[in-house]
Amino acid sequence: MAKESFDKEIQFLRMLSLAGGAYSRQQFAERLGISVHTYDKTLRNLKEMVTVLQQDLTTEQGTELSEWLRYNYYESADPLLLFLFRAKSLKETESIRLTLLLTALQSEELTAKELHDGCCDQMPADSPLPDEKTIRGDLKYLEEVGVIVRVNEKRPYRYKAANELLDQLTDDELLDLFDYVDVIANTQIPSVQGYLLRDTLKKALRIRDILPEATETHRYKYHYHSRILDEAHLYTIFGAIKQRRTIKFLYLSPKKGMNYTSQNTNPLFERESAGITDSLLPLRVVYDHQYGRWYLIGYHSRTGIKKLRMDGLTQVEEGEPVEEEEFAQRLQQLEAQLEYSWVTDTNRAVKVAVRFYNPSRSGANFIRERVEAQGQWGTITEESDTTFLYEITVNEIFEIKPWLRSFGSSCEILEPRWLRKQFMEEWKEIKSYYESL
Amino acid sequence: MNPFEKIFNFQIISRLEEAGSLALTSQERSWLKTMLGHPAAAEAFSTETLRKLNSLLEPEASIEVGEIIIEKARSKERQVYHPLLRPLRRIIMQNQGIQLTYAIKHGGERIDPSGFPHKLEYNMYKREWYLQWYSTRQRSLMSTKLRNIVSANPAPIPAHRIEGLKARISRLLDGLRESACIQVIPVYNAELSRILSTFSCFDKSVAFDEATGIYRITVHYMRDDSEFLLSRIRFLGLRVKITEGEQLKQRMLKSAEMAVGRYGEE
Repeated sequence: MAKESFDKEIQFLRMLSLAGGAYSRQQFAERLGISVHTYDKTLRNLKEMVTVLQQDLTTEQGTELSEWLRYNYYESADPLLLFLFRAKSLKETESIRLTLLLTALQSEELTAKELHDGCCDQMPADSPLPDEKTIRGDLKYLEEVGVIVRVNEKRPYRYKAANELLDQLTDDELLDLFDYVDVIANTQIPSVQGYLLRDTLKKALRIRDILPEATETHRYKYHYHSRILDEAHLYTIFGAIKQRRTIKFLYLSPKKGMNYTSQNTNPLFERESAGITDSLLPLRVVYDHQYGRWYLIGYHSRTGIKKLRMDGLTQVEEGEPVEEEEFAQRLQQLEAQLEYSWVTDTNRAVKVAVRFYNPSRSGANFIRERVEAQGQWGTITEESDTTFLYEITVNEIFEIKPWLRSFGSSCEILEPRWLRKQFMEEWKEIKSYYESL
Repeated sequence: MNPFEKIFNFQIISRLEEAGSLALTSQERSWLKTMLGHPAAAEAFSTETLRKLNSLLEPEASIEVGEIIIEKARSKERQVYHPLLRPLRRIIMQNQGIQLTYAIKHGGERIDPSGFPHKLEYNMYKREWYLQWYSTRQRSLMSTKLRNIVSANPAPIPAHRIEGLKARISRLLDGLRESACIQVIPVYNAELSRILSTFSCFDKSVAFDEATGIYRITVHYMRDDSEFLLSRIRFLGLRVKITEGEQLKQRMLKSAEMAVGRYGEE
């Protein structure tokens, strides 16, 4: 059976979270390269999930999904896009069965036979009764994903829920654990499993009657929510790297894809002919903190080192194995090339010299603090009471330029001269944007 | 490891919730085991709890995916945890008041005997924790860096005042809400994905005019976020222009004039 792919949902949610509200149903479908019918179906499925998961939101029937994504932006640390990872399809009877089994095992140790009996007693009247083989299959699955454990060595095996981690903690410790998971999932990567755990812990706190507000004391400002969508491919890529295998995929260039105004849009999923089927040897993934975006970096047999936006990857599958020696050589080559990359640029290195101006107001020197915190491997030299110098050798200037520009008039480019000239011209033009106002 | 396991399926999750049952997977435990290796763990737990967690997680596999990830353009991690997070979150949760001593900008300390804490806020950009609280003395909303707090002690507040204080905080917060409209200059529409990503850390909505091909991004932000918003706008340079938001426009004009002035006539 083909592996269920969530490419469509991922693309859909990304567009919704980035360009939320911009498009009509027709425009949205066109830009994703799908029919309006498929659009409606995808939206209906996603809405159904949201409704089931967020019972408090169901009252507002007409709420658009894009509105929901904006919901509580300032009030809650709940990861809104996490529900993507809850999309795996499942028959209703299976979800009932697995829930019954897990519920029975919360506080008791039971055998497959006992579980089968209990399950048959509790299945809704209109559902077919499971046979014991099905129950054994379910138990095998639950054991594999680690939610139950076998407690004895000899048959008949007895099982129980694998909740020891939670059961062993006092209320106070559980609260500390919730906080830690909340902080780490929000501030570190990867975070999907952390957010899933955060959800589990939230429930555990609720079961112990610890106030629901207890989970809403922390907030995270300037957070890239859509970053968790890209983690969907992370483990496939990781698996391939571990096994030194190539991957095959269909690449839909997000650059072209998001160029909504051009006539011949749009190479997203379903219009497969517009994407490029390709393969490469994955070496590393890069997370760019400036935009909250991921890149896959690998070695391509024809073009050498190649960087692809993770959000353009679909239909990712493992391919052929390569020799360890080849992998090591490519990786070493990549690491050398990435040494001076601000993000992923591997073009020629340029030396950039900049003069920064300290803020004229007294108090904290936020310019200096920011350069120290974000200037990566660049060096700082004192110049005067009001200025300091910053020098960095970096691969090309395209990736560092926005960062330098974000300092506005607190930053003056000294070298290279052509970059200095570019900044002069750009600032003149930006000035003209606002002069007429 | 598959983050799309059927055990995470939304119907199971909702049924489990109804039944009051928990399903803790090995993926979640493995993630936790790996993340307990972060230095922040030492500040987040008592020694005893940390030892207990490590021993409970001992049989789990670690998540090794970190090996293949390179993080770029990240702010130095000044602080992930702060020792005050634990006591402060408990004071907030219990609706208690707070007596704060904190360092102020130009040197010296200030004592506020009767504050009411609201939220703990982490600024992802500065990588730093803040306490948002209401000062009954100054009758205003404050945001104080945890590293500037010298001491924080619970100060009981009469139960009948709590709802009033919460309502006041929420009114004050509403008063800080602002919005601005940022237009994408159409020649840069090809870079739309990057432009939208730049603002994706804000509460925003996007409008598209098919006839003119113009995208307009309405950003909703709190007044004290305006510096960061401006830096994101400068980050994008010529690609965007503020069309609504008088103060922001004035600020952009001023920075552009000053920046041009830095270079003089060459």
